[in-house]
Parts: sequence; structure tokens; C-alpha cells
Amino acid sequence: RTGFTAIKANIQARDTVRTTSILSFPYSLHRVNSEDTCCIIHHLLKFYVDMVFKHCETEDSWVNRKISSIANSFLSIKKNFRHCHQQSLCRCGEEATQKYKQILTNYSQLNVKNAAMKSLGELDILLDWMEKAY
Amino acid sequence: MHSDKEALLPAPQNISIFSTNMKHFLTWSPVIIPGETVRYSVEFQGEYERYYANESWIPISECSFIIVTQCNVTEDISATVPYNLRVRADVGTQGSEWGTLKRLFNRNTTLLTPPRIKVIADGYHLLVELEDMGPAFQFHILYWKNGQESSVQKMMVKEITSAVHLDTVEAGTDYCVKVQTYVEAINRSSNFSQTQCIRVQDA
Repeated sequence: RTGFTAIKANIQARDTVRTTSILSFPYSLHRVNSEDTCCIIHHLLKFYVDMVFKHCETEDSWVNRKISSIANSFLSIKKNFRHCHQQSLCRCGEEATQKYKQILTNYSQLNVKNAAMKSLGELDILLDWMEKAY
Repeated sequence: MHSDKEALLPAPQNISIFSTNMKHFLTWSPVIIPGETVRYSVEFQGEYERYYANESWIPISECSFIIVTQCNVTEDISATVPYNLRVRADVGTQGSEWGTLKRLFNRNTTLLTPPRIKVIADGYHLLVELEDMGPAFQFHILYWKNGQESSVQKMMVKEITSAVHLDTVEAGTDYCVKVQTYVEAINRSSNFSQTQCIRVQDA
């Protein structure tokens, strides 16, 4: 969280597409059923690690160091979540699957750099929701 | 600047990390070139960079072209995953090859030392002052009436305030306290501090 807070303003200032959202369109994460929470978090951790962070390099070395800090923290959390998934404690219902597909659709509407930077800028939405969920 | 230059300078050797209480310092042996000032630059690579970002390295600007042979990498070793670190020596435009850690470093191996404490009896109030060890640290406090080790009281302190108020206690008795730290990020605790006992004033 501290890593993101440090660069939040910098990253969000780079988000030029103000008319859409990756995580919150059309429905907020906060409207996800509790039994789908684990599945959505597992998917989103993978989404950020596989699709977002690698496209967020900036010209600012300090910002890049903070992004590395966040990316490696996500990797660490993702490994912890893998245990849940392996023990099928992380059931994916229809709604969770649809919700994740919607996020991927939102992401694909933009060019990859814009989509990645917007997703990174929306990280506090995810972190707020994750903290509330657990 | 250096990649195509033949590296005449020897790479820094004995690169290692000293980590205590979640503070991590990279050190290495100096490269000695008579009559020259040798400067060093440090870069790090987390597990993310190794597997998801083409094994890229990230420079630490505070440790770019420095003269000392130590770098505080605490700020960048900020996740509980294995990290690699490397150091290069430069003299003018000449640069050495990179020297890297022998083994990857994970912050969950940091040495956790018992906290320094100071027990205070303020009238009938038992308090303990704790060492401020940074935001990553929580404290498990045990206290008991001297001689009654079987009835230990426990308290968990997540954030350091000045002195921690433990209890209002009986007059003229001795109370003992010991404390250990706990770091949630790596799920590890230190050993307990020395036990400190104090007499509460008589009635």
C-alpha cells in the first residue's frame, strides 16, 4: 500500500482516458458476492502480474522502483493465494467469471500502455476492496 | 556507456547483504586502483523482474556512482520474495563487469533481535517504554506479578506510542515484564527481551 500511495498522483496523472474505468465499469468491485471474493482476487492478482505491471515502465527511476515494489508484493500475495486455489477453496461462480471477463474487456478497449497505466492508477480501488474483503 | 568497452576493471567481490530487523544493507569489497577514485553503482532485481520482466534490473539512484562500499537497500527490498543485487565499479568511463550476490536474498531471513525495553512504575500504574523499530514491527508484551509466573498477562501492541500502559497494580509488589517483536510481513518473531522487574510503591 505504501508503495502505491507514494506514486498514486504521478500514475493517475498519466491516465489520459478519463471516461472509462477498468475495474469499476459497469459494476463496482464492492458489489461482488462474498463467496466470489477469493476467485476475483486470485484472477486480479494474476491480471496485474501478467498484464499490467510490465507495461507501466516510466522515465522516472524512482517511480519504476515503486512499481517494482508493488509488482513483487503482488507476486508474494499471488503465491499465498495459489495454496487456496490448489485446495479449491477459491470457487469461481458464474458472476465472478463474468465480472473478470468484463475487466478484461474494459482493458482491451484501450491500447495496452493506456490500459496498463489506468489499471495501475485504479489500484487503490482494488486494495480498498481487498482490505474490506479480508 | 560501458557495454561495448572491454571491462579492464575487476568486478566488485564479496557482495553480501547484512539484514537486521528488516533493515537491509548491501556491502562489497573495495576495488583498489592506485591513484584512481573508484565509484560503484548498485542495481536490484526482484522475482517479478526475473520471471515477468525479461530479467530486467533496476538501478538504485541513491547508490549510483558512490564511493562508499555499502548501500542501504531497505526501501527496494520491499516484498517477501527472493531478490538479486549487483554492483559495478567505474573509473572515469571505464566500467567493470557486474558482481552479483552469491545467493538470492529474501527479507524473511532478516535477523530479529529482542527489543530494548524500559519498565516504569508510575504510582500504581505499570508501564513499559518500547524501542521504535519501524512500522513493520508489532510487540508481544508479557507481564506478571513476580513469583506468579503461572498467571502471565499478555498484550499485543501494533503501533508504537510513547509508553504503553500495562495495568493498574497492587501496592508494594514486584512486577516483571518481557517483550518480543513480531513482523507480520514475514510472519516471524524475535526472541524475548531480558525480563525486567520493578517494585510498585507501597501504600
